Amino acid sequence: MLLELNNIYKWVQSGGQKIFLLKDINLKVEEGEFISIMGPSGSGKSTLLNIIGMLDVFNEGEYNFLDEPVHSLKEKHRSNLYKQYIGFVFQAYHLLDELTVYENLEMPLLYKKYSSSERKALVADMLDKFNIVGKQNLFPSQLSGGQQQLVGIARALISSPKLILADEPTGNLNSKQGEEIMEIFKELNKDGVTIVQVTHSEKNATYGSRTINLLDGRKI
Amino acid sequence: MYNLYLKIASRFLLKNKLYSFINIMGLSVGIASFVLIMMYVANERNYDKFNGSENVYRVYMDYLEGNTFSPGDAQSYNLSGPTLKKEFPEIKEYVRFFHLQKTTFINENEVFEGNKGAIVDPSFFSVFDYPLVKGDVKDALAAPNSIVLQENLAEKIFGKESPIGKTLSIFWKGETTVTVTGILKDIPKNTHIKNNFLVSFETLKTWKAIPRQYEPNWSQNNFFTYIKVNKNTDIDALQQKIIKTNFEDDLDERHNIESLESIHLNSNKPYEAEANGSESRVKFLLAIAFIILILSWLNYVNLATTKSLERAKEIGIRKVSGAQRPQLIFQSLLESVLINCIAIVIATIVVVFTLPFFNSYTGEDLIVNSAVVLGLLPYLGFIFLGTVLSGLYPAIILSGYSPVVALKGKVRASSNGLNIRKGLIITQFFATIVLLIGTIVVAKQIKFLENQPIGANLDHVVAFNWEVLSKSKDSVLKRDNKLFESELRKLPYVKNVVSAETYPGGGYDNLSSTVGITFPNGTVDENRIFYTYNVSPGYFNLLDMEFVAGSSFLETAKRSSNKIVINEKMAKHMQIANLAEAVDETVKFWGEDWVISGVIKDYHHFGLKTAIEPILIRHYEDKNNLLVKFDKSVTSVAGFGTVLKKVENIWDNAYAQNVFNYTFLDKEFQSQYNEDKNFGSAFLIFTVLAILIASMGLFGLTSYTVVQRRKEIGVRKVNGANIVNILATLNKDFVKWITLAFIVAVPISWFTMLKWLEGFAYRTAISWWVFAVAGCTALVIALLTVSWQSLKAALANPVDALKDE
Ligand SMILES: Nc1ncnc2c1ncn2[C@@H]1O[C@H](COP(=O)(O)OP(=O)(O)OP(=O)(O)O)[C@@H](O)[C@H]1O
Ligand SMILES: [Mg+2]
Repeated sequence: MLLELNNIYKWVQSGGQKIFLLKDINLKVEEGEFISIMGPSGSGKSTLLNIIGMLDVFNEGEYNFLDEPVHSLKEKHRSNLYKQYIGFVFQAYHLLDELTVYENLEMPLLYKKYSSSERKALVADMLDKFNIVGKQNLFPSQLSGGQQQLVGIARALISSPKLILADEPTGNLNSKQGEEIMEIFKELNKDGVTIVQVTHSEKNATYGSRTINLLDGRKI
Repeated sequence: MYNLYLKIASRFLLKNKLYSFINIMGLSVGIASFVLIMMYVANERNYDKFNGSENVYRVYMDYLEGNTFSPGDAQSYNLSGPTLKKEFPEIKEYVRFFHLQKTTFINENEVFEGNKGAIVDPSFFSVFDYPLVKGDVKDALAAPNSIVLQENLAEKIFGKESPIGKTLSIFWKGETTVTVTGILKDIPKNTHIKNNFLVSFETLKTWKAIPRQYEPNWSQNNFFTYIKVNKNTDIDALQQKIIKTNFEDDLDERHNIESLESIHLNSNKPYEAEANGSESRVKFLLAIAFIILILSWLNYVNLATTKSLERAKEIGIRKVSGAQRPQLIFQSLLESVLINCIAIVIATIVVVFTLPFFNSYTGEDLIVNSAVVLGLLPYLGFIFLGTVLSGLYPAIILSGYSPVVALKGKVRASSNGLNIRKGLIITQFFATIVLLIGTIVVAKQIKFLENQPIGANLDHVVAFNWEVLSKSKDSVLKRDNKLFESELRKLPYVKNVVSAETYPGGGYDNLSSTVGITFPNGTVDENRIFYTYNVSPGYFNLLDMEFVAGSSFLETAKRSSNKIVINEKMAKHMQIANLAEAVDETVKFWGEDWVISGVIKDYHHFGLKTAIEPILIRHYEDKNNLLVKFDKSVTSVAGFGTVLKKVENIWDNAYAQNVFNYTFLDKEFQSQYNEDKNFGSAFLIFTVLAILIASMGLFGLTSYTVVQRRKEIGVRKVNGANIVNILATLNKDFVKWITLAFIVAVPISWFTMLKWLEGFAYRTAISWWVFAVAGCTALVIALLTVSWQSLKAALANPVDALKDE
């Protein structure tokens, strides 16, 4: 088992009163799964994804990742777990505008212990795999949305994470570009990468092996 | 990895050109100003420093005034040095200087004027560690009529050939001949006693123009005396012993000593070798240097913090990609170091290129050399520390954003350090207003000094003085002053001609003094120093000095008499209540009787930095200066130049060779304030720079806050706000902040400037409008800077602002 959420609650304090963003979430994810999270806007999908990705904290409940209790880990340890196993893909791509495609791909490696030749090899691999060798010296603003998202995914994959978290990865793309991205996810999943995606599209959800529905912060 | 950081930083700077420009310019200007001022300060503080200078002291005279002694004369007697050395074993050596100003040399008919030097004891070289390039320190100044020339003067006179053994004619109120016995290595310019030649003490014995100075005496104190004490001497104890010893059997004065190194910034006695600097001025400038540098860092902090809001997304992405806080802080710091390094490079270039202008504007003579650079290194450390500190705050803010919040783009100005930014802006404006008030007060004081009536009219009066170098030329004029006078009177525009030893604004040079005087009522005053000089009868009329009793001297065939004119202050000292009664009374000094022929209204002889002194003006036709009063039409019709040329021709017709000098009295009087004017100029420059830095910061800051409030402005406009409303919304905060800065700045600057004004005997008032002008200037500058941005935002189409969300 890759990860397990038990009775997760998250709330924020507003005007002396608790507003619940997530209520009693239980979730098990096995390695190699491809899960889609769906639900209306504001139902807590992104919040849940961020908690799984350890970017956000929760108020109550337990979270075990590869048998490590995330809820009681020190920040440093948690961040090491995260660095090693998790990659993020965003709706708005979130590439660094000042960096070229090549440098965007290289960036996460700089925060991990890779030698410069290893970095070169890994980046070259990714550029190859996603067919963007010709674009490596361009800046994000010179790419189409679909191409930017390709770079975003490549960046998420570069340090070979076990788990890819994607928050509406096709939200800003047209349907053809979206389909390509989903095909790539399918391929990745076949290669053994676990994927959790948030999506509004029923069609995209069918790429996954399982769908979780949220409503008002509760799993239904 | 560092490569990448640098790459990112430089691309970021290139992409955000306005931000980078404002930041780098602000820092460059700040650092350049800081370095310039530090160079100036270092130069001032390094006066008279040489190997062993810490053991050298100057002997000066204290005079009893009332019940307390106060410094009365920077010069002492020719017996002072030898006596002190004999009396106190801790004194190793002494050297006496008889100062020779405006000395002329002639070598084979070539004339070299305007040299400053001194007649000194042979011991000069054991007190002052100035090396000889040629000659031997042991005997260079031993023989009479020996001269040691400074390298550059020797080269000027003799060119490349060796001057040793050559003879020279030297003119100083008369001629003598000297032989060159040594070449002195050029002395650094920052010494309070600048000599480009030294003449042996024995020369005094025969130099006719300088009588009564050679024989040991306790009556002529015309010598600067320096003593060198043994290492580890308890200098306070020595000073106490010197103060307590009465060498000359005169209880109304005493000897005192002061450290050589402290003279330039701390001594301001009568008869100084030159007008000295001032410690308080140095401190003021130091404060300004630090204010400007800190202002530019505050600017950086402010801009970088504001800009960091825009970079929140970047931080979010980095964190999501695995960056940890220290790495992000490091990167951000690297960026600020990069910006500062660029600024330091630009500042260095700016310093090198502006130094000549700075020098000519402030009258300094600063240079960049390895010693200066070495001296500045500790400050470089300070600059570096400031860089790191100013980079740290934005770095901490920046790296602290939570990735979830940052990626949503929800980091808002209000949530992060807004209070700190407000504080920074208030501090900047506080400093700006303080500097503005300072500038205005300094300017006002200088204007006050210049415009205050001085009790004499110096307009269109020119003082001519000259040295006759050879008399071979045959002429009707001969050496007769009277004939010169009548010849001059024939020139157009000349209204009056009179000879005088000195004049208002002539300083202590050419002014004699007496301590010990018997008043008409028989009281003897032996405490106070009284100044006196010679003039011809027409002097008072020429300078429009007003008599309150009696009148000027009568013209006599002898051209001198025992008559004197005194000023009101003198009369008051003599306890004469009814001034009319002073006339024909007798005063005794210098062992002679002097009869008062008139009392003039008090006038300022020394400028308004000091109080009016009692003065005794004696009747004697001194050839030192010929004062010529020109008609005021001379400037508009003929121009001074042509008239002065005619005067010079009269001299040239009389003497084959002469040195001809003239001075405009009004200009010379004003030149007493030169130091203050230079200070005012420096103050003004740096205030303008400070304002520039502060406005750049404000400009940069508003350009971002306005961007951030674009949506708010759009919503307000859609809901009916007009441009004035929007401007008011955007600007009212700044008005509030500046008001706050103003309230803090007023008492502080008021107090500081009051202290500064204490250095002047006559001072302007710090009127309320000074504060009003400073406050309004700051406000107007700030509002203009801010409105430039706000107006753009207020005029923008709200639809554009609202649609991208
Ligand atoms: N810091 C916060 N303070 C208060 N409310 C918050 C905060 N963060 C999120 N929320 C609220 O929590 C709810 C869930 O937000 P979340 O972003 O997870 O929704 P979502 O399901 O991803 O919606 P969408 O499909 O629009 O992306 C929303 O109602 C949001 O307003
Ligand atoms: Mg969402």
